[in-house]
Amino acid sequence: MRIGMFFREALRSIRANAAISVAATVTALIAVFILGAFIPSFMYVRSAVDAQTAKVDVDVYIADTATVPQVNALREKLDGLRTDGTVAAVTYVSKDDALRIMKERLRDPSVLDELPSNPLPAKFNVQPTEAENADVIVAAVTNDPALDPTEGIVYPESTADRLLTAAKFVQWAGFVLIGILLLAAVLLIGNTIRLSIFARRREVEVMRLVGATNWFIRWPFMIEGVICGLVGAVVAVGMLWGIKVGVVDAWAAGADTALTKTGSAAGTIAFPLLTVVLVGAGALLGAVGSGITLRRFLKV
Amino acid sequence: MSDGPDSGRPTFTLVEVPDTTPVDPDMAPMFSAPVQDGKRRKGDIFRPGPGPMVEFRNVVKTYDGNSRGLDGVSLGIGTGEFVFLVGPSGSGKSTFIRLIIRELRPTSGSVTVGGRDLGELRRSKVPYLRRAIGCVFQDFRLLPDRTAAENVAYALQVTGHSQKEVRRRVPEILSLVGLDDKFDRLPRELSGGEQQRVSIARALVNHPRLLIADEPTGNLDPETSLGIMDLLLRINRTGTTVLVATHDQHTVDRMQMRVIALEAGRVVRDEESAGYHEDTGEVLA
Repeated sequence: MRIGMFFREALRSIRANAAISVAATVTALIAVFILGAFIPSFMYVRSAVDAQTAKVDVDVYIADTATVPQVNALREKLDGLRTDGTVAAVTYVSKDDALRIMKERLRDPSVLDELPSNPLPAKFNVQPTEAENADVIVAAVTNDPALDPTEGIVYPESTADRLLTAAKFVQWAGFVLIGILLLAAVLLIGNTIRLSIFARRREVEVMRLVGATNWFIRWPFMIEGVICGLVGAVVAVGMLWGIKVGVVDAWAAGADTALTKTGSAAGTIAFPLLTVVLVGAGALLGAVGSGITLRRFLKV
Repeated sequence: MSDGPDSGRPTFTLVEVPDTTPVDPDMAPMFSAPVQDGKRRKGDIFRPGPGPMVEFRNVVKTYDGNSRGLDGVSLGIGTGEFVFLVGPSGSGKSTFIRLIIRELRPTSGSVTVGGRDLGELRRSKVPYLRRAIGCVFQDFRLLPDRTAAENVAYALQVTGHSQKEVRRRVPEILSLVGLDDKFDRLPRELSGGEQQRVSIARALVNHPRLLIADEPTGNLDPETSLGIMDLLLRINRTGTTVLVATHDQHTVDRMQMRVIALEAGRVVRDEESAGYHEDTGEVLA
């Protein structure tokens, strides 16, 4: 019964202060829209970085002079790393395979025919389970007698480190940006609620006069804030949906072949989940925004 | 203009006054006077007891700087009394009233209402104090976007009454103050006197033990004022303590009730059955 009354009071207030309510709703709309555009982009970047870091594999080159027992010993060492979980997969690439791969890469493979012999060493391609495990693998096989003296161990140490740093940076920058956006939205909605309270100062005065408790006065304002936040969020989600279907999906379809060729596993948040998150954020923005303002402006 | 009050004049003079409210001899059951029946209602913060409804002890209220609202006021208002608070602007009438509803706190001294020392009343209890006191103001203080019925209903909703009870009590109280056919009018569609009746209905709907009216007739013509004063008097007869701050000389002279006169924050006169001015026998301009 009381909740129904608070809702009626909130709706009455929204009608009475239509201009201010529209301002609050538009504020929430903008904040939620930016948030809604940012979250998937942020998730995409993170997932792309994850996909890159997952690709840091270690190449262990084998000397042409290495004996069969030496090569077998090296293979056993790497298999041992696989059983303890540091390595995901070990692939042997023979000299011939290496040459074939090289030929595929070159635009004019005929240059290789000029070579008197195959200069490429055989190798083990080792995929670590985690990017950080590369160091362990390198430590384990350094000084192995089967190693090729010139090529040795090749792994994208610097690339991996840079990617990890970039991933962490993207993550933190994302959190900070989202934080700033939310704070701005809360302050804007709070300001709008303050205007609403100001416009109804006399009413609040009368409410106090007839003995309304602080919470009795606050609830309609809180609900008013939440309604504005929700409506703004729903409109923002609608706009984002339009952009997703009309622009992003169409672009992704066109770029699809290029993407699959590079083997990118990058994905992003599912739209229904995003909708839930954004609508929740809108409601929360409204509640927190009005709550903070009410704390400051409704002291008896 | 007015002749000095005839000191022997009984309060019944009201009978001669043109009454715009329908006479309702059964008004009394509408307003309970819980101090008398000894029962405490739920959420009631007044302490039952035989003491005065309002008691000021050496109350001083100083505003920022040196301006003094009240300068050492001590007095009591008994339960069921009808009291006029008179004095020129700035004499401290408003301060007196705002101290009772705890809109202000005294600089020193104590204010007790319904047995509760307001200095010890927690802030969270202030709304409950205000529910036990009905307030009527010169500017009516109605919510402009609500009808007469909705304005009265608001005071009931605040105190947590059910919708059913609101629907029952609001028409009752509005009829009682003589607004039978004006339930759905907005304040701007009502005359000043009618607006003041709505405001009185709102003040009464929670059965306050104390009704405070700050210049209730300040914006009304003399005839309408008499109707309002008559309504206040009838409310008083049901056991509700009524305190009226006014500078409406005619009304005070006519009604011959207890008069407390303030001047520069001090009580300069406190007299039973008196007029607006001290009865010195001189003819007043």
